[in-house]
Amino acid sequence: MKRMWWLALVFIVVLILPLITGEFWVHVLVEILILGLFAASFNMIFGYMGQLSFGHAAYYGVGAYATGLLMVKGSVPLPICLLASMIVAGLCALILGYFCVRLTGIYFAILTLAFGQLIYYIIFQWYSFTGGDDGLQGIIPPDVLLSANAYYYFTLIIVVAALIAIWRISESPFGYTMRAIRENTERTRFIGINIRRYMLINFVIAGIFAGLAGALWGPFNRSIAPDLCTWHQSGIPVFMTVIGGPFNFFGPMVGSVIYTFLMAFVTGFTEYWPLTIGLIITCVVLFMPGGVLGLCEKKIRVFRSRAPQLDPIETTEGKSSGYGG
Amino acid sequence: MEDESILSVKDLCKAFGGVQANSYVNYEMISGELSAIIGPNGAGKSTFFNLLTGYHLVDSGKVYFKGRDITNWAPHRITRLGISRAFQVSNIYPRLTTYENVRQAILAQQRRTLNLFVPANQLARQDTFELLEVAGLSQHADMLAGNLSQGDKKRLELAIALGSRPELLFLDEPTAGMSGEETHDTMELVARLNQEMGLTILFTEHDMSVVFGYARRLTVLHLGSVIAEGTPEDVRTNDEVQRVYLGEEA
Repeated sequence: MKRMWWLALVFIVVLILPLITGEFWVHVLVEILILGLFAASFNMIFGYMGQLSFGHAAYYGVGAYATGLLMVKGSVPLPICLLASMIVAGLCALILGYFCVRLTGIYFAILTLAFGQLIYYIIFQWYSFTGGDDGLQGIIPPDVLLSANAYYYFTLIIVVAALIAIWRISESPFGYTMRAIRENTERTRFIGINIRRYMLINFVIAGIFAGLAGALWGPFNRSIAPDLCTWHQSGIPVFMTVIGGPFNFFGPMVGSVIYTFLMAFVTGFTEYWPLTIGLIITCVVLFMPGGVLGLCEKKIRVFRSRAPQLDPIETTEGKSSGYGG
Repeated sequence: MEDESILSVKDLCKAFGGVQANSYVNYEMISGELSAIIGPNGAGKSTFFNLLTGYHLVDSGKVYFKGRDITNWAPHRITRLGISRAFQVSNIYPRLTTYENVRQAILAQQRRTLNLFVPANQLARQDTFELLEVAGLSQHADMLAGNLSQGDKKRLELAIALGSRPELLFLDEPTAGMSGEETHDTMELVARLNQEMGLTILFTEHDMSVVFGYARRLTVLHLGSVIAEGTPEDVRTNDEVQRVYLGEEA
């Protein structure tokens, strides 16, 4: 119940924040929400399933383009566009994921990266349909969402709903099966789970939510470009999740807050943003391998001086089994 | 029903590189048996289990479960059919609690793992607690499995295998690394599972004394081949077994 108080407090702050800040920061808040959802969807693969996707922007970008194209070329209402983005991104994840889940570890990462770049080049080259590197302009949200604050609250509702859905999934038997696959793939196979099938389903769900995040981006930014699919973009949820903490449900969102605020702040006075984030990531990886929330959890645990727990980042023991003798 | 064949293995072969790990192994089990496979380290006991459960692909030969050819099936299909195994080195989920470890196996057995919407902590509570009780792990339910003692990890390994509600259970050295008392308790539990729940159990062991007290039928593997089979008494007095096995122990 203590946790609920925290959430309620955060929620109140989130509700009144745009009323007391300027428009620039409202834009930053929207960006935090969208990228936070993007990172949370990424973490379904990274934190829960234990595989590093380095091409998650593909589904984000496909989602963004689905909504962008439908709005610009078809004047389709935004809610339908969001739904369409989820479906298209999910289908895309189903097709590409079918191949990705055959691999694990570095090979999984490389294949997701390769597919991500493939999607990028398709969008980049297909001038007649996607506008190529000119991108798509004039993605204007409906009149009621034109103001910064209105779009913020709209995004807040969608993102919170999506996060609740991801939370429910993470606590469901399916979510625990993902943890089981992460912890010990072999054992999970021997309790009767078809590993690839489950990994694929999770990959598709993660793609669907990435697509939703992407869909929210176009009307916010009024335009989209193929860079949304590049591996740079795929790196963003990786950074956010590592900073926030991959073993905590709120890690990606906390990472998004830190990353996006810092970027807005730092780019205000220097062009050395990549250097800054590079240093931050290095420090996080070296000095707090569980991310910000991992560190907090550890401190709280020490504070309460409970029984020693396993370090969350510690790699699994008992993973190897007896196939000798 | 008692005499129904549950497992039938024909001419099973497996080589790793040049080493013949299993060579024309034939094996039969009838429902309700509690039997053991013994042999020194490297005899091919674990390989035998790995071939039966789909961990390794067989080179040649056949495996039948209740008359059904399951040779080279994927492990998850074999498990769903009613065969489960406990590994030699405990093979658990170290960063989940003991309770969650067992629940995971039960949820999988109940085909509930595709459920995306109901919180897992509302499901299979009764079954999980019962199984923890059977395995003697109730007092450690909330402990992270990685923090359990070696003996408790082995017990958890057994509980996970039981969570699949198998008809046929393979235990690969279930008492490896246990103290004398733990070994006794574990083997008593195995015997109880066999007698009270009617589980057909096949276990491997390299410690002869453990085997003689419990298994009703012994099979001796040596360098990948079956060299003797029979009651513990028969095997104990078998000359070849004495030579390759007991002789080495002395």
